[in-house]
Amino acid sequence: MGDNTSSAAVRTSLTAVPASGAQAGFTTRTVGEVVVPNPVMSARAVNVYYGDKHAIKDVSLDIGRNAVIALIGPSGCGKSTFLRSLNRMNDTIEAARITGSITLDGEDIYDRQQDVVQLRARVGMVFQKPNPFPKSIYENIAYGPRIHGLVASRADLDEIVQTSLQKAGLWEEVKDRLDHSGTSLSGGQQQRLCIARAIAVDPEVILMDEPCSALDPIATARIEDLIDELRQNYTIVIVTHNMQQAARVSQRTAYFHLGDLIEVGPTEQIFTNPGHKLTEDYITGRFG
Amino acid sequence: MEGHIVRTFDADILNLRIQVLAMGGIAIDQVQRAVRALTRDDEEAAREVISRNAQVVTAARGVEEEIVALIARRQPVASDLRAILTIGRVATDLERVGNAARKIAKLTLELDAGRDGLPLQRFYNDVRKMGRLAVAMLRDALDCFDRVDVERALTVAHRDAEVDSEFQLALRELVTYVMEDQRHLASTIQTVFVLKALERVGDHARNIAGSVPRLVRRDEPAAAAPAPGLLIGAGALPQRDPRALGQG
Repeated sequence: MGDNTSSAAVRTSLTAVPASGAQAGFTTRTVGEVVVPNPVMSARAVNVYYGDKHAIKDVSLDIGRNAVIALIGPSGCGKSTFLRSLNRMNDTIEAARITGSITLDGEDIYDRQQDVVQLRARVGMVFQKPNPFPKSIYENIAYGPRIHGLVASRADLDEIVQTSLQKAGLWEEVKDRLDHSGTSLSGGQQQRLCIARAIAVDPEVILMDEPCSALDPIATARIEDLIDELRQNYTIVIVTHNMQQAARVSQRTAYFHLGDLIEVGPTEQIFTNPGHKLTEDYITGRFG
Repeated sequence: MEGHIVRTFDADILNLRIQVLAMGGIAIDQVQRAVRALTRDDEEAAREVISRNAQVVTAARGVEEEIVALIARRQPVASDLRAILTIGRVATDLERVGNAARKIAKLTLELDAGRDGLPLQRFYNDVRKMGRLAVAMLRDALDCFDRVDVERALTVAHRDAEVDSEFQLALRELVTYVMEDQRHLASTIQTVFVLKALERVGDHARNIAGSVPRLVRRDEPAAAAPAPGLLIGAGALPQRDPRALGQG
């Protein structure tokens, strides 16, 4: 990976903000605890560049297990870029360059040996617009387990399809029409189908990039309820523009601003007593 | 409290504060009138205080509704939410100040009705003095609330001790008095209630002053430059008037 992978500790603090990572052997300007015990993923001193543009600046952040962390911030703050760097979606952008380290269960995901397809099975993704394959509902779910060789028989596959749809809260609505096209479902159902598809390959982490922005309030409520259920078994990282949604669904919230991770903390604290003025300005709608 | 991108939100909060200040004006006036009615044996004025209490109650309900609407429509968080809830608490304190005034007015009528030819006029000075202290404190607390003057609000809050010690002093005198002549027991107890009501006004003034720091964000320099105030200058709150508490 990049040149400063090993040096972990990177940049001197620009402000007098307490360095919460100090004990863990690196410095950070972020307010709040970036470190959590036994994290599923750990980003250290991550910088992302798109050509000349410095999109993510020296971000260090742990992603805790079986919890929902919300990434919030104004447009262009780097939250989606950071999300995409967690399963190497930025690899597809030619001009993108990343330094620092990101680990999944302690393994560097940017290691040359890392199989990116395998990585994306372990760190799944749900996008803003529901994007089911133009195939049957059944095939939408079956595709992943099949290509990852997770099933030995049709019966196994049937079971995965059923449990994935059940976990995504969609089974009762579609069990009688599994052969119908995935695109025939409503927007909210399509999004739950995409979540079921992500679950089918048994990931550890599910990344969600504005998963409800194309949905109506009822469909949104269903997805939010689902997110809360899913966190029993999975870790969820969600990017959202809707601050009330961040407040509702997450246990931890991270606020990004112009590529910097300004503050991270328990969601309740971020929304009642943020530690940084920029965070407060943003969540109270004063951002200029 | 200002500076939102959505400027109508600023206007909503401003409006709420103006409503509370106007309510404060009525509450102060009610206490002054109640004390005057008592010390001048003016039953008519006492009845007026009792009927005017509805204005304070209506204002309090209005503020409450406004806050519910603001929370539902704007979903305020962090310092905004705290400021709005604080304004609501100030309204609650003012409603209770209104209740205290009504109580004094009611006692005025009862004292008058139950009079045994020996009114407790010798304690009117204590009542007046406590009334003056409590009203002055309440007015200053509201002034601090208006100007968001955190520093001065803290000194105002400390003045509650003066009102409390005045109350204790009067209480001791009353005990001595009733021990000398037990025929005055009933009117002594009622006088205690009057003094206690004024002591409570001091407590509410202390609460209001104490809430001022919660109106500002932690990162704002506290009271570096108190705001010019919304209403004091415009005469919505009764001005200091040496004759206001029936010194004559």
